[in-house]
Amino acid sequence: MSSPFEPPQLFNIPLHLIPLHSSHDAGLSLNLFGGSGCPRDRYAAPPKQLLPSMRQHLQTTRQTKDHVKADQYLWELGNFPILPLRTRTRGPAYTLPALPPNTADIDVAPDSESYDCVDEILSLFRANVLFRNFEINGPADRMLIYGTLFVSECLGKVKPTMTARDAEKALINAALDNFAVPGDVSFPLNQAFEPPRDRQDAESLRQYISQVRQEIAVRLHARLYPGGEGPSKFWLSFTKRKFMGKSL
Amino acid sequence: MASQTPAVVMDNGTGYSKLGFAGNDSPSFVFPTAIATKAGAGSAGSSGARPAVANKPSFLSGGGGGSSHLSAKRGTEDLDFFIGDEALAAGSGPGYGVNYPIRHGQIENWDYMERFWSNSIFKYLRVEPEDHYFLLTEPPLNPPENRENTAEIMFESFNCAGLYIAVQAVLALAASWTSSKVTDRSLTGTVIDSGDGVTHVIPVAEGYVIGSSIKSIPIAGRDITYFVQSLLRDRGEPDSSLKTAEKVKEEYCYVSPDIVKEFARYDREPDRLLKHTVNSPNGRSVQIDIGYERFLAPEIFFNPEIYSSDFLTPLPNVVDGVIQSSPIDVRRGLYKNIVLSGGSTLYKDFGRRLQRDIRHLVDDRIRASEARSGGARSGGLDVAVVTHKRQRHGPWFGGSLLGQTPEFRSYCHTKAEYDEIGPSIVRRFALLGGPGSS
Repeated sequence: MSSPFEPPQLFNIPLHLIPLHSSHDAGLSLNLFGGSGCPRDRYAAPPKQLLPSMRQHLQTTRQTKDHVKADQYLWELGNFPILPLRTRTRGPAYTLPALPPNTADIDVAPDSESYDCVDEILSLFRANVLFRNFEINGPADRMLIYGTLFVSECLGKVKPTMTARDAEKALINAALDNFAVPGDVSFPLNQAFEPPRDRQDAESLRQYISQVRQEIAVRLHARLYPGGEGPSKFWLSFTKRKFMGKSL
Repeated sequence: MASQTPAVVMDNGTGYSKLGFAGNDSPSFVFPTAIATKAGAGSAGSSGARPAVANKPSFLSGGGGGSSHLSAKRGTEDLDFFIGDEALAAGSGPGYGVNYPIRHGQIENWDYMERFWSNSIFKYLRVEPEDHYFLLTEPPLNPPENRENTAEIMFESFNCAGLYIAVQAVLALAASWTSSKVTDRSLTGTVIDSGDGVTHVIPVAEGYVIGSSIKSIPIAGRDITYFVQSLLRDRGEPDSSLKTAEKVKEEYCYVSPDIVKEFARYDREPDRLLKHTVNSPNGRSVQIDIGYERFLAPEIFFNPEIYSSDFLTPLPNVVDGVIQSSPIDVRRGLYKNIVLSGGSTLYKDFGRRLQRDIRHLVDDRIRASEARSGGARSGGLDVAVVTHKRQRHGPWFGGSLLGQTPEFRSYCHTKAEYDEIGPSIVRRFALLGGPGSS
């Protein structure tokens, strides 16, 4: 039995060994939203496998698809997408190269090779959380939904009077806390998420989601305390808003 | 006539009335369409549910049928009222109640409106109605009976020399002629009129309103103020009164091309976050921060979902739908001349964003139909949103523009004609500024 993190076929080559610039015609969508003039040529995926943009619902941004890197979608557990992450936490995710020194998380360009779905979740959060309706157009959208809801949860943990250290602790605790994964009875979005196939998949999914949560917590903290000061009241003002009227 | 007296232009809206003289470039008076009357003094207007009919006793023509003991009681108390800002001031004290005679653009209380006009003419404009022609405005789809009532008051109570009643949307189109973008003075176009209470999208073809295609949107200035207020409250600003929210809206808001990018821009350029000082009347002053509401507030026109849960259609889609439901032979003209009017269209880049979004809708449709037709090419469709300097008082300014033309008087109905034919004469007016006039 092969590990759940191996893509279905593709001659049993572990995924991270596939050079990103190759144009395999395998059951694997390495793309990425092509077109739109972004330097995406290294993901030369066959056009059939294009995934719809994660944020097509956002009318304002429909015409400017530059942030859609979360569609670097590799494969799914249940129907939760397993996307590469730029992270130092250990786990099943394919790790993207770290940022060059002196680069802040905010400055990562969407076409950089280090740009990952967490960057996208955080940059879209303040716009997305204002919306009550969200149309799922592809598996990557489920990551966006989960991430956005988790950011909301994190914001609820940070009180306006907290110091940067206290907030960091609170956020990491929130990330590591017991959490439900798709398929669990207590998972609030089971209509949109399919349960993983078996116990093994569920365990892997839990590890992956834990990685995502920790990464979100860390990077959200950086945004909440720019230059060590904060928390930014402009971010905290989004605490009360509920994306799609739901919360984790 | 060598020296003609200028025509009086009065634009009475639900929120504000704009009064002035034709030929001026801004109204002489702008004040709330409000009247304060002695509350409970048994004055002629205190019975609120007065039927909106023309032949009722009015306070100027006198209550002819009134019995003697009533007339003794009448005295002068029916002259004890204020209009405009004075009305609001009087209404905040004891003894007076404030009424708004215009609801949803239409006159609801004719007695109050008559008094409102009399004060407008004699106390504010200080003119002799006998010497002046009057240009009044009406909303689209105003019933002709209302015109007759208006004419009756204007001719019989005030004895004015002549009267023309124009549709506000048509005047707003005329006001856009001042823009350098407008080359031909046509009266074909789509008017987007956004005031305080409601936003209308009105297609006009050659001076005539296409009534069946008018759409209104329940999102306008007041909603933007409420939204700013809710954003200030979410952030826990020390002052989040409606008045402050209104100030913030008027002074700091603009339309962004893309809200996601705009958020990122605020992260990179923290000096876009501003401070605003609120001076309260008791001498204290508080400083509040201004953040994302700068571009989020007007965004509710383009993404109503972020504000309202029952109305979800973006303004560009509404405009596109209005034009698509209009007769096919005028659609090109309607797309080419989309004119903004009213205070809530004044945000920076409002017109640009609207134009871009409508253009995308149109281009998408053209592309889809090209694909369906299998090889046919479309010549394209020109979408232009006209922004101009007179947007705030668009209808008034259009009235001023048309009221100063030499032939304006020939389009009016005069007092003599009214006496000859009666109120029904005002059911029809020749089209002012239409083809053939300069």
